[in-house]
Amino acid sequence: MTSIHGGNIRKVVVACDAGMGSSVMLASQLRRELRGAPVIVEHHSIATIPDDADVVLCQLGLAGRARAGAPGSVVVGFRMFLGDPAVARVVAAVKQGGVVFGTPGS
Amino acid sequence: MSELYAPPTRESGLKAQVQRFGGYLSGMVMPNIAAFIAWGLITAVFFEHGWWPNERFAALIDPMSHVLLPVLIGYTGGRMVHAQRGAVVGAVATMGLVVGSPSPMFFGAMIVGPLAAWALKYVDGLTENRIRSGFEMLVENFSAGIVGAFAALFGALAVGPVMRIFTDALGEGVRFLVQHHLLPFAAVLIEPAKVLFLNNAVNHGVLGPLGIAESSEAGKSVLFMLETNPGPGFGILLAYLLFGPRSLRPSVPAAMAIQFLGGIHEIYFPYVLMKPSMVLAAISGGAAGIVTFMATGAGLVATPSPGSIFAYLAETPRGGYFGVLAGVAVAAGVSFLIGSLLLGVGRLTRDDLSRSEGEL
Repeated sequence: MTSIHGGNIRKVVVACDAGMGSSVMLASQLRRELRGAPVIVEHHSIATIPDDADVVLCQLGLAGRARAGAPGSVVVGFRMFLGDPAVARVVAAVKQGGVVFGTPGS
Repeated sequence: MSELYAPPTRESGLKAQVQRFGGYLSGMVMPNIAAFIAWGLITAVFFEHGWWPNERFAALIDPMSHVLLPVLIGYTGGRMVHAQRGAVVGAVATMGLVVGSPSPMFFGAMIVGPLAAWALKYVDGLTENRIRSGFEMLVENFSAGIVGAFAALFGALAVGPVMRIFTDALGEGVRFLVQHHLLPFAAVLIEPAKVLFLNNAVNHGVLGPLGIAESSEAGKSVLFMLETNPGPGFGILLAYLLFGPRSLRPSVPAAMAIQFLGGIHEIYFPYVLMKPSMVLAAISGGAAGIVTFMATGAGLVATPSPGSIFAYLAETPRGGYFGVLAGVAVAAGVSFLIGSLLLGVGRLTRDDLSRSEGEL
């Protein structure tokens, strides 16, 4: 999938290589930012992304693997772990509506 | 249909393949890190040269590193292939390697655990839908038990001896590098691999298992510090804080705390990737750190995971603080110096930044 409307997002998955470090950090940040919104935020390793993930967030260096492992999800790659505009766009779409576009394949 | 617009998944790239293979290896180790830390703490405290030598507690050290840790790896490897049933036969198969082995069989466990689980998956495929009602439990328990028993025998007879030769050869290779003072050159491979998100594969897939083998004999190993040293990343972030593009500077202090204190190194990788020549700063810092570790005879008792300065302090053996801290400080200093030069002390950065913004 290449895009999803913010109102249809039910589950956001943050993925990293091990699913134990950076993804946990970013997921807890997102959970704080999305408190009150009807969205579940989870963290997983890039190899075990659940099928029901609507949006997958991961570093651009891992986006290819995420796309291969989660064909049914919109995969959004970000560059920086702190303050990245791609992450902010997902948060804004969930809160205020709008369309989230997946990062195109490299 | 949205599928029509989906970009083709071009996943033949070597980087993704190496990442994926490394992910399998580290994925068997990382869920069990707590057990490695427990073993490391017991070793640091109760080892004969530890803080509080105690023979009764020190009796835990060998069985934990030789049996518990490999069996946990085989268990997790089996679970990756065939869930709980795979995990059980993976653990049983690993016992075949463990018995009578003079060194911890981590690499062997990474092979036989998933292999035994795959064999059971095959057998389960054969019996599926052919079991008479009421006999499911009998068939399922005995098929797994028989596969597990054969896997353990296979491990003891075939895989164990082969892996012993393999592990000994790797250990000899590392010893050769150490004796000929070549270990610092490992940074040339490790630091670029790290920022390509192969950090876990390198550390938990390769260096950690080798380090445990050394540490369970010598009480410490420098191999745990080759990839995990928080110094180079800290130096690079410091260079960005002072000389990087102005728009990036506000987020750097938080990144420094997360990297150096929290041990999540991934946070500095983008700073290297956006200006690839910065990898030279990481390499020179990493190499300088290893030189310092070797010159001072530094080592840690177990894998510091995550690579935080606190994990370093907790796993430094008694009397080893100077060398460990010196290596971290030297690595940070050298990376900072080279990184600052590469960032052009405030110049030459606007292009890189506008390009990176263009991609976003």
